[in-house]
Amino acid sequence: MTGVVAVIIIIAILVALGVGLIGMIKGGKSGSDKMFKSLVVRVSLSVLLFILVMFSGYMGWITPNAIMVDAPVISTPEKND
Amino acid sequence: MSEQEYYVPHGTYWPIIGSIGVSTLFVGFANQMHGVEWGASVMALGLAITVFMMFGWFGQVVNESTNGMYNKQVDRSFRWGMSWFIFSEVMFFAAFFGALFYARALSVPWLGGADNNIFTPDLWNAFSASWHQMAFLAPGTELQSGTTMSFPAVPEGLTIENATPADVVDPWGLPALNTALLLASGVTLTYAHHALRAGHRNQIIGWLVATIALGVAFLGFQIMEYSHAYADGLKMTTGIYGSTFYMLTGFHGFHVTVGAIMLTVILYRVQKGHFDADNHFGFEGVAWYWHFVDVVWLGLFVFVYWL
Repeated sequence: MTGVVAVIIIIAILVALGVGLIGMIKGGKSGSDKMFKSLVVRVSLSVLLFILVMFSGYMGWITPNAIMVDAPVISTPEKND
Repeated sequence: MSEQEYYVPHGTYWPIIGSIGVSTLFVGFANQMHGVEWGASVMALGLAITVFMMFGWFGQVVNESTNGMYNKQVDRSFRWGMSWFIFSEVMFFAAFFGALFYARALSVPWLGGADNNIFTPDLWNAFSASWHQMAFLAPGTELQSGTTMSFPAVPEGLTIENATPADVVDPWGLPALNTALLLASGVTLTYAHHALRAGHRNQIIGWLVATIALGVAFLGFQIMEYSHAYADGLKMTTGIYGSTFYMLTGFHGFHVTVGAIMLTVILYRVQKGHFDADNHFGFEGVAWYWHFVDVVWLGLFVFVYWL
């Protein structure tokens, strides 16, 4: 669940960044306003995402990314799942 | 200048100097990679010529701008130029993130025998289909001769039975701190942007200095993390994880370095009074770039360390 929410927030951040880019390309007063507002949204969403991920990790809802397996050995090649 | 005229600089020699600089840099780099004695010196010379070109060319553009030689049409061309540069940057990182997802979700499981079972571990019996920062060896295990994969050392007393994922990678340490630092730099930069739009020059300078300081702190901690990871045996040669980890974080660190240099130039230009509330494209371009680099790190933090 956290993963899904995190991915949705990341997509929203990318959209905000993209809107900011459009504002930058447009220029002028309206473009500048658009760029600034969308970058404020992107910063706010980023802080929210960071808090979400760290809190979920603290609560144990998500675990750090790692899969542990045995390393290759001399005799018996092991089949991993 | 009127709206109809388009300022074209005549007789500029900077593109030729830039070409000479970049060519020299790569000839030196290629020879350095082949262990040729003079490679490093030629590389340094090429770098010096390139930096000289940047100072000269960018300085000339700044002078032309402050002397009022640009009109709205030129402004538009600068904005489009920046947007194409950004497009190339997005594609650059998309390729590396794509490689990360491909290796992790598709190619490594396939090679491990998943789905189609065409590939099996018997293909090469030293192959271990894993996505990890640390592999665990039973005490006294002898690695197959000819094995070229190197695995990180395991802390004393830690075995695969008692290990938790947190022993393998600790996102609560430096990675979390670095994420907080970069996020904070995004916030301070937004305040600088606001101050610029409101015309408060002293505030812009303060927030920009804070942004640069946070970026430099990030780089310092990143160097620390690299030295820890390297000492623990995580190298470019540590399987596909090591390769993608260093490619992504290394190029990201390079972009933070470039961004910090660009912000320093913007700080200098703010002090010189080059920008006002309505006319500050130089600041906007660099600010967007910094926000982009910030988002790339956020993606790295979430996908490489957590999800």
